[in-house]
Amino acid sequence: MKADAQDNIIEARALTKRFHGFAAVNDVDLSVRRHSVHALIGPNGAGKTTMFNLITKFLSPTAGTIVFNGEDITPEDPAEVARRGIVRSFQISAIYPRMTVADNVRIALQRPLGTAFHFWKSVRTLDVLDARIDALLEAVGLLGHRDQPAGGLPYGRKRALEFATTLALEPELMLLDEPTSGLGHEDVDRIAELIGTVSANRTILMVEHNLSVVARLADTITVLARGQVLAEGPYAEISQNPEVVDAYIGGSDD
Amino acid sequence: MFELIGISPVLLFGQVLIGLINGVFYAMMSLGVAIIFGMLRIGNFVHGAQYMLGAFGAWYLLHLPDLFPGLGLPSLGYWWALVLVPLGVGLIGALMERLFIRKVYDLEHAYGLLLTVGLAMVIEGIFNVFYGAAGQQYGVPDSLRGGVNLGFMFMPLYRIWVIVAGLVVCAATWYVIERTKLGAYLRAATENPDLVRAFGINVPRMLMLTYAFGVGLAGLAGVMAAPIYQVSPQMGQSIIITIFAVVVIGGMGSIFGAIVTGLMLGVVEGLTKAFYPQGATTVIFIIMAIVLVFRPAGLFGKETSAHQPSDIAAARPESILENGRLWLAVFAVGGSLLPFLVYPVFAMKMLCLALFASAYNLVFGYVGLLAFGHAAFYGSSAYVAAHTASAFGFPTELAILSGVAVATALGGLFGWLAIRRQGLYFAMITLALAQIVYFYAVQASWTNGEDGIQSVPRGHLFGIVDLDQPLNMYFFVLAIFLAGFAAIYRIVRSPFGQVLKSIRENEPRTTSLGYSTDRFKLLAFTLSAGLAGLAGGTKAIVFQIASLTDLYFMTSADALLMTLIGGVGTLLGPVVGAVVVVTMQKELATLGSWVIVVQGAAFVLFVLFLRKGIVGTLEDALARRAERRRRPADAPTAAPVAGDEVAAGKPR
Repeated sequence: MKADAQDNIIEARALTKRFHGFAAVNDVDLSVRRHSVHALIGPNGAGKTTMFNLITKFLSPTAGTIVFNGEDITPEDPAEVARRGIVRSFQISAIYPRMTVADNVRIALQRPLGTAFHFWKSVRTLDVLDARIDALLEAVGLLGHRDQPAGGLPYGRKRALEFATTLALEPELMLLDEPTSGLGHEDVDRIAELIGTVSANRTILMVEHNLSVVARLADTITVLARGQVLAEGPYAEISQNPEVVDAYIGGSDD
Repeated sequence: MFELIGISPVLLFGQVLIGLINGVFYAMMSLGVAIIFGMLRIGNFVHGAQYMLGAFGAWYLLHLPDLFPGLGLPSLGYWWALVLVPLGVGLIGALMERLFIRKVYDLEHAYGLLLTVGLAMVIEGIFNVFYGAAGQQYGVPDSLRGGVNLGFMFMPLYRIWVIVAGLVVCAATWYVIERTKLGAYLRAATENPDLVRAFGINVPRMLMLTYAFGVGLAGLAGVMAAPIYQVSPQMGQSIIITIFAVVVIGGMGSIFGAIVTGLMLGVVEGLTKAFYPQGATTVIFIIMAIVLVFRPAGLFGKETSAHQPSDIAAARPESILENGRLWLAVFAVGGSLLPFLVYPVFAMKMLCLALFASAYNLVFGYVGLLAFGHAAFYGSSAYVAAHTASAFGFPTELAILSGVAVATALGGLFGWLAIRRQGLYFAMITLALAQIVYFYAVQASWTNGEDGIQSVPRGHLFGIVDLDQPLNMYFFVLAIFLAGFAAIYRIVRSPFGQVLKSIRENEPRTTSLGYSTDRFKLLAFTLSAGLAGLAGGTKAIVFQIASLTDLYFMTSADALLMTLIGGVGTLLGPVVGAVVVVTMQKELATLGSWVIVVQGAAFVLFVLFLRKGIVGTLEDALARRAERRRRPADAPTAAPVAGDEVAAGKPR
């Protein structure tokens, strides 16, 4: 049931990653349709985060290819992949704790200015970004914390900040690694709502454990177990699949 | 042993044999360093000093009756030493672990290295006070005198013994760690200490014993080396840098790799001595550079996931002490008064070293890279400036600029090589690369070896201002310092500086935002090298000399010490550190050789008790005071904690 390349923003073909002989990801094919929200789920150790690391090239695959917008990006390094518009978040909120909230977002926004290597210019030259920083912070409800060091924010706010920073790059493909993990109810709702809002004109691939969030947001779900694809389809279909239920409840048995 | 000298096969075999013996020592030493590094994550710089202790231990045992006359102690010979000294050195190691090294396990790797550098300075410094540079003789034991005639060459018995015994010790160690239950516990403890603790194993004691064992190996190597090399306080100093290079070449996580690489490099070094003697001192470091290009993880190392650079910066960006414009003005005014308060030469030394330390801080403090080879940039620029000024008659400003250009180029090259590895490896690599420059200067003809380049003309600035006038010279140096300081402040507070800061705080995140972080680190390293070169070139003109001291690794250690004392990653820290260190060196000059001991002790004390340095600690204190002042004012209205309401969609 593979759609053609035009419809798929990214395709992983026969992707394999072995660590000292152990195959964390084993011959996985994954296609993500443009402008969809695609969720990767599966029990612990299923290879979800490894898939993320492979797609963003934080890990090099042992075998297989990754094609983004019809181009083979397998040999590229993580920064190159990011510059193509594939931007990820991390399982543990990735912020710059000693920089202010505004500076966190500014780091993302300043790259397209092309002055990142300009060591002779004043940091004031980045002030042109202030309006966009404020807009992004407002969107995630952090404007009031603009000049605070990011490390002092409560956990939920840190995740919101990371989200704003990721969004600042206006990624074509956003990879969110457990965006709601460790959050309270209210924060989960807020982040889910944000994901829903920003998914309007971009593609999102997310790893998520909270199935209600998955049910609410995801158009397609891929279930991984022990490094392989167990099932794929919309939520209604997946949730009825006995193998999936077994993988979740039966855990690491067989 | 060269009865047939002149016939090249004999020379060749002779050098291979010497190489093999050196290789055995490299293997035993790098084995210890690799174990300690692997299990404890400590770059044990004091390993060389512990090896030296082993050799001195053997010598002491032999001279017990002379050392303690009247006690009727016997003179204990080689075989006694072989058993007692490793135990004694191991015990000293255990004590050092208990008192010092244990305190830094949970800290950034940088502190472990700094601590052991300090300990090495203290130990070697003390021995230097008592024994100076002169070596003590230690005879070959009677039972191992004589040799075997192999037909093509004469093989002394003692050397055969060293090779066999060394190999047996290495093999046994490898077996214990890789093939026994004890070794399995050790390896597990380094992976996950909490889990191993849950099994009921005393992890701290195990780590202490591991350290003691690694150190005991160094002691054993010292005893075995005593009859071959001279027993001198300096014997460990040069070998430790070679050992670090061996560990880098061999690769992390491979005990076997450390042994094989040690042996192999000893032989390669011996062969180089036979075919190209000039290259013998540097060949290991050059091999290291080549290995880094083609196999960054080392010959036997496994691919390690990139870990973050250390973030040990102590600065509070909002502090008044970080306001560069203000302090630039203060330094301009204060600096203008300084030559009327202290000797201009003394003031100029402070300014040169303050600029050097500030340049170093750019890499260590603002990028989090533990560079340990900045002497290469400082010293090479000093030599180039001195040479172009005296031999080519370059005008002063052009001579200094030539130095800066060379230092910058060297910085780009070394940075390009070293940036492939992080953390402790980065320190080891920069240290080893700097050693290439040092040995080059020892051997090249234009550098005049031990004498250095003397009587460098100060010349005239722009052909007009006579720099032989102390005050003219001083204000020229002050201008250079202020320009360098301003440049560093600008770099730190630039779009580039922002990215550097982000790399230091969370490198994977910065990568994920599309920045090729290695390029940023490389540019920062190169800029830092250039600025260190500015300091070094200026120093050569001021003191009219460029010497091997400028390139020696202790100069790199000085930069580290100044930065650490002042406050890593703070704007003023390196300047304050330079003032403290230069003053200390001047005040303690009467103590002679003790200066190095005091400096080492300062290293240890600052790592253990004052990691934020003087300026960092001050900034903390100021921030706390400001906090206290703010709080009483807020107290009456302290009802809700501001900003904790649900902020979704909250209007401005």
